[in-house]
Amino acid sequence: MLQSRAIAFAFVAPALLFLAAILGWPLVQAVLLSLQDVRVIGSPGAFVGLSNYERVLGAPAFWRAVGLSAVWVLANAVLQTALALAAALVLNEKFPGVRIARTWIIITWIVPTVVVVVIWRWLFSTSGGMINPLLLQAGLIERPVGFFATPWTAMATLVFINSWRWFPFIALMVLAGLTRVPEELYEAARIDGANAWERFKSITWPLLAPTLSVLAVIGTLLSFNVFDIIWLLTAGGPAGGSRTLPVLIYETAFKGYRLSEAAAISVIATVLLMAFAILATRTLEKGEER
Amino acid sequence: MQSWLRDSDPGIRISDNVIGVPTGKREPTMRTLLKAALAGATLMTPASAALAQDKVELTLWHMEQPPHRVQRVQEVIDAFNAANPDIVVKQEPQNWGEVYAKAPAAIAAGQGPDLLFAIPDFTPILKDIGALNSVEDFVKELDAKHDFVDSAVEAYSYDGGVWAVPLYNMAMNLWYRKSVFQEAGIEVPETWEEWKAAAEALSKDGVYGIGLPANKQLYTDQTVYSFMVNGGATEIYNEDGSLRFDNPETVASYRFYADMHKMSPADSTSWTWGEAEACFSSRSCAMVLQFTVIATYDTQAEGDAADLGVAAIPHAEGQEGHNTISYANAVMILAKDEAKREAAEKFISFLLEPENYGRFLNMEPGLFMPVTADGAKAESFWSDPMVQKYKSQIETVIQNAANGRLFGFTSGRTFPSIAAISAQNIIAETLQNMVVNGQSAEEAVAAGQARMEEVSKQ
Repeated sequence: MLQSRAIAFAFVAPALLFLAAILGWPLVQAVLLSLQDVRVIGSPGAFVGLSNYERVLGAPAFWRAVGLSAVWVLANAVLQTALALAAALVLNEKFPGVRIARTWIIITWIVPTVVVVVIWRWLFSTSGGMINPLLLQAGLIERPVGFFATPWTAMATLVFINSWRWFPFIALMVLAGLTRVPEELYEAARIDGANAWERFKSITWPLLAPTLSVLAVIGTLLSFNVFDIIWLLTAGGPAGGSRTLPVLIYETAFKGYRLSEAAAISVIATVLLMAFAILATRTLEKGEER
Repeated sequence: MQSWLRDSDPGIRISDNVIGVPTGKREPTMRTLLKAALAGATLMTPASAALAQDKVELTLWHMEQPPHRVQRVQEVIDAFNAANPDIVVKQEPQNWGEVYAKAPAAIAAGQGPDLLFAIPDFTPILKDIGALNSVEDFVKELDAKHDFVDSAVEAYSYDGGVWAVPLYNMAMNLWYRKSVFQEAGIEVPETWEEWKAAAEALSKDGVYGIGLPANKQLYTDQTVYSFMVNGGATEIYNEDGSLRFDNPETVASYRFYADMHKMSPADSTSWTWGEAEACFSSRSCAMVLQFTVIATYDTQAEGDAADLGVAAIPHAEGQEGHNTISYANAVMILAKDEAKREAAEKFISFLLEPENYGRFLNMEPGLFMPVTADGAKAESFWSDPMVQKYKSQIETVIQNAANGRLFGFTSGRTFPSIAAISAQNIIAETLQNMVVNGQSAEEAVAAGQARMEEVSKQ
């Protein structure tokens, strides 16, 4: 037993060493940096202990960013799950062209972020965009709407664009889960007279729940770290209304020239994410045991 | 048959065909090929090293990324390299979004460039980490020869030195269509009252009277400061380095900007330069403040040079003369090695020679303006077809640029905190507090000063 464990460890050791090198070492460096007062990359810094952490934890901007990150993660999780589930249920049906649809649905995920940003920025533009004229013609609005003009509309628009980009990927994962649901269960339910909603509630949802739970954990971690779409579309604005933690870290490091303070925020964010991941994993494990 | 092929050479014959049957030809084996490559490399290394020792290599980082600009810079570099066989200049284009972080990191790693383009607030960062030596004597020498625009040198002159060599200027202007003004019976506005009346008159039929940004971004810093310098709020520092941002002139400038912004598209809170140009090109905005719109107007709009109007930015009632924000872009010499510094000076001298300077500036016709007196008259500048087509507009831009100022670089003394104030776009943030958060001009400017003081202390 002991020998087989040693062999197993020997096999995974190279991968562990590799991970330690590319993840562990930068993390250690980030922690060390957060204990100094380095302002610009390459400049020297003195040891200042935990003062960066004190400053960060006492700053309203940090807590606002934490709150916005929570809103961002939650809103993305809800919207992406709803869209992905709907798309997966449709793609799980048999209809002409379903194979093509299953392949092409991931196109939004393949398109480079910068292209996504350019497309949506143009579509939502008040001068020359397409969405405002459509809404005007439909009589839904009286004057062009600035989708990025206020903090809440900007956040909502960003969530929509990010979800549009990511939901097909999740949809495919959900679809993989759906294909594992035995068809006989649906047949038995139909024979018992269950309607579509009852079949979904009693068969699909319970059997899909483990897949969705895992996706929720992964999706939360991925959503939390999204920086590119937010930065390119709003740069955290307007008036800080979309300044999530990754945006705050970038701003602090490269616009505020407070590299060590940014490192402190990064370390706190890492701790938050790790705590979430551990908690979520344990909850999932308990669920499986039950 | 080459003599180094021997029958005894073992190994797989690379000329054996796919089914493993020898082709019958005597071909070099893998081992002999490797031997030859090794021998060649052994011979080549000293030769190439000797060649490199003869030449001084310079690496230039600039942030003019569009391919046509990179190509034009390469043409100028090629001409220099051909005229100076002992020097090899190579360019490595960067972008403004990254270079503030990348350059200090590269310098710290010993991988920095020898020459690096700059705007004024970039130099204090590199100066503070000891990457710069004063180029005062070199700038004096060039000034005697070419006569720099004073404000261009002023922006890089502080703390007892000159930290970069001015290369070109960019100044904000008011762009409009003459035919649109004529149809509305509007004269080119001179004062803020006239300007507001014009914007109100032009705001009709889905057209925005003026396109002004309110993003927390550099473009908004630039447009807001263009209002401030025309409202008597040029200085944001007192002589002693304390901040004087919160004053009645600044408040009035912000109040007027916010009033004018009501006639801009709703999404201008996320605008950068491109959106403003697009708004003007598509005729959705009747007026915009921009360094130039010539390229987009010529390629994406009607391109009628006779109809494109450009004017100085109107000033507040009671103020005299028109001012604007101007960015004197420059080049810093980062090389420490004496031979490299000499070569770098030679390259910069070459760029500023009138016969080369125009070609360099016209990497983007109508955007980059000369900062030397002889450059402003250079045949190489004015002979460009686009410059010829929009000659009157470019003359106006050059004229406006003469009254250019830049926040934090106006008093002959530069305080290090301007780098953080500029990088964090606090001027633009102050406007957002009015436009987005609904603060009054007094509240927003007071909060702006507090933020400036906060970042100055950090």
